[in-house]
Amino acid sequence: MFYWIYDIPSVALALIITGAFVAFSWLGTIFIRPFLRVFLRKRADINDLIGYMLSCFGVFYGLLLGLLAVAAYQNFTGVETIVSKEASSLSALARDVSAYPEPDRTNLIWLLRDYTRYVVKYAWPAQQQGMVPQEGNTRMIAFHEQLIRFEPSTPGQEILHAEALRQFNNYLEARRLRLFAVTTSIPGVMWAVVLVGALMNIALIWMFDMKIVNHLFLGGILSAFMGLMIFLIASLDNPFRGELSISSAPFQDILTHLMEE
Amino acid sequence: MPPRRSLPMRLRSAWTLLYLAIFALSGCEPLNKARDVLTKSDQERKTIKLGILHSQTGTMGMNEMSLRHCEVLAIEQINASGELSNVDLVPVVKDGRSKSDIFRRRTRELVDVEKVDVIFGCWTSLHRKAVIDELDNPTDLFRTEPVARNSAQPHKPLLFYPLQYEGFEVNRNVFYFGSTPNQQILPALDWFMSQQGGSRKRVYLIGSDYLFPRTANFIVRKYLEKQSMQVVGEDYLPLGHSDFKDSIRRIAETSPDLILSTINGDSNFYFYKQYYESGARPDSTPIVATSVGEDELRRIPPEYVHGHFAAWSYFQSLDTPQSQEFVKSFKRAYGLDRVVDDPMEAAYTQVMVWKEAYKRAKSSDPMKIREVLEKGLEFDAPGGKIKVDPKTHHLYKKFRLGKTGLDRQFEIVYESKDLIAPEPFPSFAFPGWECDWTRNGLTKGPMPTIGL
Repeated sequence: MFYWIYDIPSVALALIITGAFVAFSWLGTIFIRPFLRVFLRKRADINDLIGYMLSCFGVFYGLLLGLLAVAAYQNFTGVETIVSKEASSLSALARDVSAYPEPDRTNLIWLLRDYTRYVVKYAWPAQQQGMVPQEGNTRMIAFHEQLIRFEPSTPGQEILHAEALRQFNNYLEARRLRLFAVTTSIPGVMWAVVLVGALMNIALIWMFDMKIVNHLFLGGILSAFMGLMIFLIASLDNPFRGELSISSAPFQDILTHLMEE
Repeated sequence: MPPRRSLPMRLRSAWTLLYLAIFALSGCEPLNKARDVLTKSDQERKTIKLGILHSQTGTMGMNEMSLRHCEVLAIEQINASGELSNVDLVPVVKDGRSKSDIFRRRTRELVDVEKVDVIFGCWTSLHRKAVIDELDNPTDLFRTEPVARNSAQPHKPLLFYPLQYEGFEVNRNVFYFGSTPNQQILPALDWFMSQQGGSRKRVYLIGSDYLFPRTANFIVRKYLEKQSMQVVGEDYLPLGHSDFKDSIRRIAETSPDLILSTINGDSNFYFYKQYYESGARPDSTPIVATSVGEDELRRIPPEYVHGHFAAWSYFQSLDTPQSQEFVKSFKRAYGLDRVVDDPMEAAYTQVMVWKEAYKRAKSSDPMKIREVLEKGLEFDAPGGKIKVDPKTHHLYKKFRLGKTGLDRQFEIVYESKDLIAPEPFPSFAFPGWECDWTRNGLTKGPMPTIGL
């Protein structure tokens, strides 16, 4: 829903989210606080009461944000591991088939080059838009067809061929996991809870009775920190989107190597 | 407790702070980019999908991969050049899997789902005919949308076909970028009949057993009826055939001084190998091939093909700036060990020609593009100047004859002086048949007996 945020540079996004939270907090402090005071000022111990509430609420909300941030980070690093495993398998596969006799060697290298170029130039940008790239399947089938057409004629070639087939299967598995990860993200309902929680937190701040400058300063700091936490979770949430996303650099390295094969 | 300031005073302070913050951050580049995203101030870009339909898998997969690469390269170059302002061309690649019914199904997907206005594709005549038939007569089984029976103008994209072929076909929505026999095979025979080509008089025809070789050789036989050269033998072998001993024995028995080969695919490796091993040499009886380009040569040891000939319109060795730039850009994109050949050049050219037509039509609408092309559009292709023939939707092209070297490249030994007009229905072979899309369209004559 809010995927357009990934088109914004990270620094700007951090400033925007933090700024939005601070601005919301300040606007409430300026416009809503005077009305709240009408109802709440009658009690002398109102600041203590709201302080207890905020502490209690803050524990639960902080836990929610913290756990989400850890989950998003773990997911991010998990996908990063899958991508590096996939790239390693592809690299090993390229190494194996480069030892095949001609003309199979050239055919297989060209097919791998075709596939890797597609991943770098088309599949990755599609992933960054949240789309699962499909055309790689056909290229993998073409490679598999060519690979199984090879008939080993020496014991050495038999070992090499078996190893290439094993690497190919490893690669397919890692590739499948990467494609699954493209659409993995924090569910919308969780985001709703996070945002409503943030709103309640800020609303509690508005209820304090203190000097306006102090109110703006303290409310601003708390809102800014909440904004930063939400920026962090949002940035890590979709591992293939945004400036902080997982890059195609490992595949670009393999492509550079394959182009020189 | 100090006296509280009034609300308007407090508001003024807050707004002043906000203005100061915005002013301080307005010079910040990431924020400027963010503003563009948030306000969508970038000019709206239009996306045009271009269908690419080749076999990526199956027996034709490796051959057609090269064509797809050239078409995608052309699209990437157009996008990078920014020539089509505010337009992004997006290649939609489909795999025909070397099967006619899959070509039909993918055609339907490109039309119904992707809504493309043009399809660049096919290699074999069988697949081309399947695609054309699917465009003309949609198969209900493959439809992904309800059939609009009452639709007066159903959406029908153009097909651009890059291979040399047998001719005897036209379609108003198809543009043929390869050579017809009168632009490829007949000039080759003329050259071999000339003094420069050795004044040869006896030709043996050998080919794979399918539409192109049969029809091409039918045209050759008809053409040679009034020439000094005679056909001394004719042989057809299944696609993928590997044992040419009987054919080579028959060639030896009939003593031709030229062999015209329309053998396709991997069979070429076995034919050249066995011909070489039989002791025959190109000095006395050269082979002139119509389906062996630079891409095929990499699969054949150079000593087997050295000294033999190939007839095409384009060779990688063509020493012109456009050709060398094309070769360089292809190698940069797909690897230094890659080579380009005639069908690849045609595949690249057809995308570039479509772009030129788009620029003039200012639309990707198939009918508007066709209208522009039917005005006889000219273009400087890597192989030199070409011109679309408004009458037949084929190209005016040059003919070139290449002699194979040990470096797996061709030395151009002959080049036609002018562009040769396409003749999909040469009158000596297909009397009564002619096509002129600018006037009456296709006029049919008696059906010839080709012997398919």
